[in-house]
Amino acid sequence: MASHNACPTELQPGRGWRIARAVIGSLLVTTWKCRFGLMRGQRRRAVSARQLRLFCERMGPTFAKLGQLASVRPDVFSPETVFELERLQDRMPPVSSDAIQKAIIQELGADPETLFADFEQEPLAAASVAQVHRARLRQDYRPVTGALLPAGTEVAIKVLRPGIEPQIAADLAIARRWARRMARFKRLARWRPVELLDEFTAMLDRELDLRNEGRIADRFVRDFADDEQVIVPRVIWRHSTRRVLVTEYVEGWPLNDLGAAERAGIDARALATHGANVFMHQVLVLGYYHADMHPANLFVTPDGRICFLDFGIVGTTTPPQREAIAQVLVGLVYGDADRALRYSRELGLEIPDEQVARVHKRVEELVRNHLLSGPQADVRGFALGFLSMLADFRITIPAGYGLLIKSLVTVEGVARAIYPDLDLMQAARPFTTRLIAEQLLQPNRLRRRLVAARNAALEELLS
Amino acid sequence: MKNIIELLAAWALIHESADEGWKAAVKRGREQTPGAMGDGPEAFVEGLAVLVDEEKERLKERLADGGDSDEIANPVELGERIDQLGFEIAELRGRLESLHASIDGLAQRLPD
Repeated sequence: MASHNACPTELQPGRGWRIARAVIGSLLVTTWKCRFGLMRGQRRRAVSARQLRLFCERMGPTFAKLGQLASVRPDVFSPETVFELERLQDRMPPVSSDAIQKAIIQELGADPETLFADFEQEPLAAASVAQVHRARLRQDYRPVTGALLPAGTEVAIKVLRPGIEPQIAADLAIARRWARRMARFKRLARWRPVELLDEFTAMLDRELDLRNEGRIADRFVRDFADDEQVIVPRVIWRHSTRRVLVTEYVEGWPLNDLGAAERAGIDARALATHGANVFMHQVLVLGYYHADMHPANLFVTPDGRICFLDFGIVGTTTPPQREAIAQVLVGLVYGDADRALRYSRELGLEIPDEQVARVHKRVEELVRNHLLSGPQADVRGFALGFLSMLADFRITIPAGYGLLIKSLVTVEGVARAIYPDLDLMQAARPFTTRLIAEQLLQPNRLRRRLVAARNAALEELLS
Repeated sequence: MKNIIELLAAWALIHESADEGWKAAVKRGREQTPGAMGDGPEAFVEGLAVLVDEEKERLKERLADGGDSDEIANPVELGERIDQLGFEIAELRGRLESLHASIDGLAQRLPD
């Protein structure tokens, strides 16, 4: 974690003890709520997960962020924990406008009234690490992609909370001490607490440099430039630094505030389907995807477009992974458990030979119960069951694979926030089928398959 | 149309050594005068065979190069490459503007 002394904040004395007391308090409550270990399986995990979320919310920005990062790691944490941490509230009381203005002066060398035509003192949003204010451009600006933004264009200014970096660095130093202690216990060491914390620290460090988010936003803008139903705010680099990110302001409703009245004015079904296809296009064609797609990071504009915000966490896929993921998806979409499992192994899911038959049976049941029966597929139910099953069989989940399953669940949630009756599996059929057809028609693939088919035919004729 | 030719070229590549009739059609097609493809079904097939054969040779070269040759295969690909370079330059401009903003911030902190 890079230390920052530009916006010094006095670190609270005794913070380590306060964290220790909160941890012990939380453990006692969890033990009580789990009936001193008498509660078993999924229910116990669900109760513990809820206590963990409440702890993260109570302990402030560092733990809220760590919780958010843990929520995209189903390869490490139980599915109950991952889905519970997804609900972490990332809203904080706003910092005073004066403090934000000072931070902007420190970063950009001039006060916001000089840099912008208009600067709103009242924040648009205040989260654990940053606060957003609205303003207007004073001069024209040419962004990396697309048309010129004329003077007067509304912009959103995201500013890191003054002093947040040293506060997070101090909290992480305390957390690292705890992680080292945990690593001494055999039962806890299997979680590799020190390595995991190092990984989270690196992720957090990347997220605290707002330029990274801006660069990914630029790439999204370019890759979806031809898609009229997708909008990504463009970055105004002239006013953006490590701690300030200025983007176009997009008017709309966050998905968690989308009511029936708003849905009435748009083609909600088509937009939800398109949103799901956009995600699959990211994963299966572009090779990178927005991995933090919770409803607060997505807007629907009054003219019926989806707006993507906040590119803090991004997942990537390699070409062989993309091919295998497409096959897994087709397997799920068409209820072909065998295909889904076969290609899951290509994604690094190692199932011991003696467990293959049992795993196969459980997956078939899950597909039948959650994806094929009922009025609409339940991807969330399937994912929860699937991840729990892997945990029960003690099968290690590859990191990218876990994140992908979790992201599918998120996409279902997002699509249903737009159109509640959407069946994600039905919506995904045309896209995945087309993709598999394109993969099959690639010359090198065709060549391989035709040679194999010819050999098989010859073998058949000669036998 | 291009995709169909590519598909047929992939097919031709696989059957390259097996089909003597195909080779003869290509040979006859090469001997055609310009515009002769419209002279009837056989002339059309022979002309098409030449197009497919040329595409097949290009495909063979691409596969021999491991598919990542720097050679630009067609105008569409060239356009994509130029577009990509344009984007990278614009990204670079963005980075420079951001650095400039950071320098302004640091300069403001210097004592007068």
